[in-house]
Amino acid sequence: MSPQHPQCRAIEPDLLSVAAGEAGVTAAGRVDAHVASCGLCRDELARYRTLEGMMGTLRRAPLADDDATLARAQLGSRLADLRSRMVGFGIFPSPLGRILIGRSEQGVALVQYLPPDGPLSAHVRRLLGEDAVEDRAATEELRAELVEYLEGHRARLDWPLDLRRMRSDFQRRVLEATAALPYGAVTSYAGIAARIGAPSAVRPVAQALRWNPLPIVIPCHRVIGGSGALTGYAGRRVELKQRLLAVEGVKTVAARNDFKVDREAMYTMVTGESEYCVPTCGSLLSQSMSTLTLFGTREGAEAAGFAPCTSCRPDLHPLPA
Amino acid sequence: MGRVMAEDAFEAVVGAHHAEIRRYLLRITARGSDADDLSQETFLRAFRAYRALPPGSNVRAWLFTIATNLGRNHFRSQGRRRRAYAAAAMEMRPEAPDRADGRVLADEARERLERVISGLPGKQRLAFIMRKMHELEYAEIGASLSCSEESARAHVFQALRKVRRSLDGHLPLGMESRS
Repeated sequence: MSPQHPQCRAIEPDLLSVAAGEAGVTAAGRVDAHVASCGLCRDELARYRTLEGMMGTLRRAPLADDDATLARAQLGSRLADLRSRMVGFGIFPSPLGRILIGRSEQGVALVQYLPPDGPLSAHVRRLLGEDAVEDRAATEELRAELVEYLEGHRARLDWPLDLRRMRSDFQRRVLEATAALPYGAVTSYAGIAARIGAPSAVRPVAQALRWNPLPIVIPCHRVIGGSGALTGYAGRRVELKQRLLAVEGVKTVAARNDFKVDREAMYTMVTGESEYCVPTCGSLLSQSMSTLTLFGTREGAEAAGFAPCTSCRPDLHPLPA
Repeated sequence: MGRVMAEDAFEAVVGAHHAEIRRYLLRITARGSDADDLSQETFLRAFRAYRALPPGSNVRAWLFTIATNLGRNHFRSQGRRRRAYAAAAMEMRPEAPDRADGRVLADEARERLERVISGLPGKQRLAFIMRKMHELEYAEIGASLSCSEESARAHVFQALRKVRRSLDGHLPLGMESRS
């Protein structure tokens, strides 16, 4: 090729294509015609063909260090770890508004009340983790069961839980004690503190429940203030707590920006005992709220495995409905 | 559930492409440990994005794109060091004496070829390796390098010219490859 000659310069890209075996018929024809009369370009084409041949050899030649076994094994375990942490979530309407359910391979990891519309908040995004993906199929069954529960057609959500988003061991203990509260029962924050053997930790218990990643499933709505006031739920949405309790047969009365459970209207038992009483039973005298579990209905208490007290006989003298 | 299906499908993707992607990364980084790390990272990223990949996508080309981006980030942080290595490697090479024997000449030329490729500027080098070592289409190379098909071809051709020039005197006419 003569770098000075315009014809040679013009044919050069085609020449490279021909050498690489990429040229179309027209370009190949042009190159043939040119090299027939230009010896320099003919030589150049031969050199590029040699070069392509060498690259073919290089492509097929074994590479030093070409052993992927270790990297493949490490990748396998990192993928397994990623999979087990990865949350698939679904967002859907419910009787309590828009709800998000997220699940990992290990179990249900997150339940969140969402505002009626708009994108997910930074807070929810953070809870979901960066690897979360929307996966309605993975949460559809959970959605159906949750709606049944919220409509009062189901008393249990027997879901495997992924509790790796707990903030601390303390929170885990609080939530485990809360998860053990029977359907239709309430107890106080102090009652949970007593159950986990930390009777003075009432405020920390309330904090731990405030950050419950699995409301409804771990029934923090069954934990109320010592006065019977519901005190708070899902930010400022105490009305959701009232509705969840109403579904379970726990009646409340409205009270200044809040609702209150009327102790006098609740079947009552000393936590750890096996019998439930009417609230006026002599055995309950001088018991503080922190030692009590309250049931809205006899059916609730009996479904939880408790028997009517043999002295106050709530079975014979039930509370007015 | 769709989820499980997607994961099984991804296992197949790893099985089909991991070795080649690692080889590509080995070619562009020239270090086994970097190829290990970057190939793992490529597939972890791919796993995260896999569900969002439209059905019928060209998975192999998509993996090359991820690997290329990781490789370029890697060079950005390692750039100075790599250039220093390349320069040192070039300097240490004595000029090839003329040999009558074609086979020795071919080995000589091949070694030289490898060194010349490793000394190419970033995009040309990546485009060249994707095209000549992994036989990707120009459109796929363009997607990997965020440029057009035409620019991808131009990168490869520029690289070819440089390789050709640097092998001047080492490319006997009509010397065919041994394979």
